[in-house]
Amino acid sequence: MTTVEKLKAILVKDLNLEELTPGDIDENAPLFGEGLGLDSLDAVELVVVVQKHFGIDIQNMDEAKAAFQSVRSLASYIEGRLSGG
Amino acid sequence: MSVEPIPITGMGCICAAGRNLSDSMRALLRGERHPAPPVRFASDHPIPHPVFEAVDFEEPPDFLRTSAFALHAAREAIADAGLDRESLGALRVGVCVGTTVGAVMSDETFCRGCLAGEVPDMAPIRRILRSNPADVIAREFGLSGPRQTVVTACSSGTDAVGIAGSWIRAGLCDAAIAGGADELGRITYIGFISLMITDDSPCKPFDRHRKGLNLGEGAAMVVLASERVLRRSGMRARSLVLGYGSAGDAYHLTAPRPDGAGLRSAISEALAASGVSPASVAFVNAHGTGTPDNDRVESRVLQDMLPGVPFLSTKGYTGHTLGAAGAIEAVFTAACLEMGKIPANAGFETPDPEIGITPVREVTMVEGTVALSESLAFGGNNSVVVLGKA
Amino acid sequence: MSGPDRIVIEGIGAVGGFGCGISVLSRALTEASSSPGTFDLSTGSGTVRIPAFLADVSRLGEFIPVRTLRRIDRFSRLALLGSHLALADAELPEAERSRLGIIIASGYGATGITYAFLKSFISDGDICASPTYFANSVHNSAAAHISIQLGATGPSLTVTHFHLSVPSALATARLWLAEGRVQRVLFGAVDELSELIGYVRFRMRHAPPDTPMTPLWTEMETSIPAEGAAFLLLARESAARGGYCTLEASTTGSMPNSGVPFPEAGLLVLGADGCPESGGRYAAAAQNVRVACYTPLYGSMPSGPAFDVAAGALILKGGRLFPSPGAAFRDFPATVPAGGDPVGTDRIACLTLAEDNAYGLTTLGKLPDTACVRAREGRTSS
Repeated sequence: MTTVEKLKAILVKDLNLEELTPGDIDENAPLFGEGLGLDSLDAVELVVVVQKHFGIDIQNMDEAKAAFQSVRSLASYIEGRLSGG
Repeated sequence: MSVEPIPITGMGCICAAGRNLSDSMRALLRGERHPAPPVRFASDHPIPHPVFEAVDFEEPPDFLRTSAFALHAAREAIADAGLDRESLGALRVGVCVGTTVGAVMSDETFCRGCLAGEVPDMAPIRRILRSNPADVIAREFGLSGPRQTVVTACSSGTDAVGIAGSWIRAGLCDAAIAGGADELGRITYIGFISLMITDDSPCKPFDRHRKGLNLGEGAAMVVLASERVLRRSGMRARSLVLGYGSAGDAYHLTAPRPDGAGLRSAISEALAASGVSPASVAFVNAHGTGTPDNDRVESRVLQDMLPGVPFLSTKGYTGHTLGAAGAIEAVFTAACLEMGKIPANAGFETPDPEIGITPVREVTMVEGTVALSESLAFGGNNSVVVLGKA
Repeated sequence: MSGPDRIVIEGIGAVGGFGCGISVLSRALTEASSSPGTFDLSTGSGTVRIPAFLADVSRLGEFIPVRTLRRIDRFSRLALLGSHLALADAELPEAERSRLGIIIASGYGATGITYAFLKSFISDGDICASPTYFANSVHNSAAAHISIQLGATGPSLTVTHFHLSVPSALATARLWLAEGRVQRVLFGAVDELSELIGYVRFRMRHAPPDTPMTPLWTEMETSIPAEGAAFLLLARESAARGGYCTLEASTTGSMPNSGVPFPEAGLLVLGADGCPESGGRYAAAAQNVRVACYTPLYGSMPSGPAFDVAAGALILKGGRLFPSPGAAFRDFPATVPAGGDPVGTDRIACLTLAEDNAYGLTTLGKLPDTACVRAREGRTSS
């Protein structure tokens, strides 16, 4: 499973996006605002989700904001961190 | 339409700044503050966050620390009012206390036991059931009047003072002990860090580089009395609750409404109830937690509604004491009116262009007889109490 | 207590072990029957099945889109359902919602999500604590969710004070209305039977299996733990468009040695909920007065007194008494009127005996035949 696919499944489950399936999520759509419709509370939850599932510690919201543009940008961020980048 | 002012005949307080109100005020006016990583509990969070613990206070084993704080502050307030168990027994006295932790039915040790499949000791739960802060005060002093434990998160203390004032105006009781109490523990510490609104350095309310709040703990109580009882009992009015207002944001669970509409309504209602014009406000004791969002919204509203009025946050000395904050800040506000001066806004160095106004940077003399104390809470509660010089 | 500023109960929303909605509650009261379900508890010695009155929140979907509910815990869902049922019952126009004051009373608060928050860091470490769970665990989260859904920007209050919560919070609701702070208060009582509360109840107050609730019996524990929400839409009489009854007073305090002062109430609804210690105190308070007890229909929970108020409101509106369920007054020589009897009084008081020798007393009055009643009847028949 690619990081993008894994992330979609995690988002649906951990952010309780009950009415969506992972396949419904467009990996290039914005996570916040008009895209997936997430908000500031989801953003901090996502920090914990990334910590819990990938062991990656995001220290502050500035760092998070850059990573949390879309599922794809988050996947790249995670892959970069995991490869020591 | 303005309402009848309610005399405050006694005040008490305990927090990281001091074990009583006069010690706390002395520390504030000297600019002393000692935020440090928690010593009473441990966390495996990799980054320690400074907090404001009341380190020299030990609670008795049969009470929650929250309720022990409440009782400590109530004792000081009652003594300050010149009352004792006997004189209180001759009156119908209510108790209204704001808290967060004092009303939580969970204990980490107990829950860990449950989750581990053990049969955990019930002592922590029995302690919680015995420790409702309003009940603890009513029991200790044999009070017969109405009781209420207010849990409107970080505005609880302000709401409790406002509600107790209404009780007295409506004749539900002759006097009331009102305030707020909260202890600091792992659950709140871990929770606030998870929301990423805590600063890993000493908090900097209204500063450009503010990163968040530091948590604190403590309690403050006031004794409120009707004019009729005041005359009969020989108590003196030390300060006055002139008015109270509160309004909801109807916006978000944790974020303040960007336009501050709820806070604006609360300020308007409190000023109208007090019969006070914005121009006669001597200073504002702001909520000023040091989170980017709170301080931005709050200062925008102050700039619009109370332009030029000196303001400060005292959370740089106490940390954010949650359910106690509104009460601690109300007694600080009343004490500042008495002394005619306000402390510096601790932690403030660099003005924030986005905010545009700056809090007081040094001990400042204030003239006037009226001041505001504000609280903004999770859930979008905004509450304001207007205090007056007696 | 009667005057121009009387407070009227305009609408009621109720959900609990008896079902969902005021007509369902009314039927359970008329038939004096409601059967508990079961709740599976995991304990140190395996899973234990206990009787419990559980609420079904599935009707919430009629009022709020599923997507909106994704982050909302069970406690707040109970509260949202209760609040929408009350507003629908009163047929409050949408435009009036933004001006509501909101007051929530809960004996224990949002214990399910609080326990979930603790689990999140106990199992995965402090750094994995869930901020969403933490935000929902704050005591006023239900009031916040309601205000957000309704766009209600009036004052908001949450009271968590065990068994005193309901009468104490109703007292403040009355004050807000009397002071003219708001024209209407949406008042709600909520408790959830979470895993944590279920376990605490199992350990501390444990009734033998297959025991009906016998609230005034002092021989043994007979309580059946419960959850639910009971909401009241309260309005100043001048603003009210009809309703069930008036809310004359709500008082809390320490029990005087002389006993509870009943203000000329012709019927006392007892909040006794199957705890033998308080059962004895209720029995002592209930001498020489007509009494009723309906807790066996909705079970034992600290916010239960709001269901007593709902029952009292239905009695005053309908003019007929509900029978107290069979076992309620076992071995108790009280004056218990039968079901279907005329009310015979225009005052009903609901008594709650709380922790620490405290009591709460909420008094309801028959709604006088005024313009607002006619307005309501005209509206419902049209």
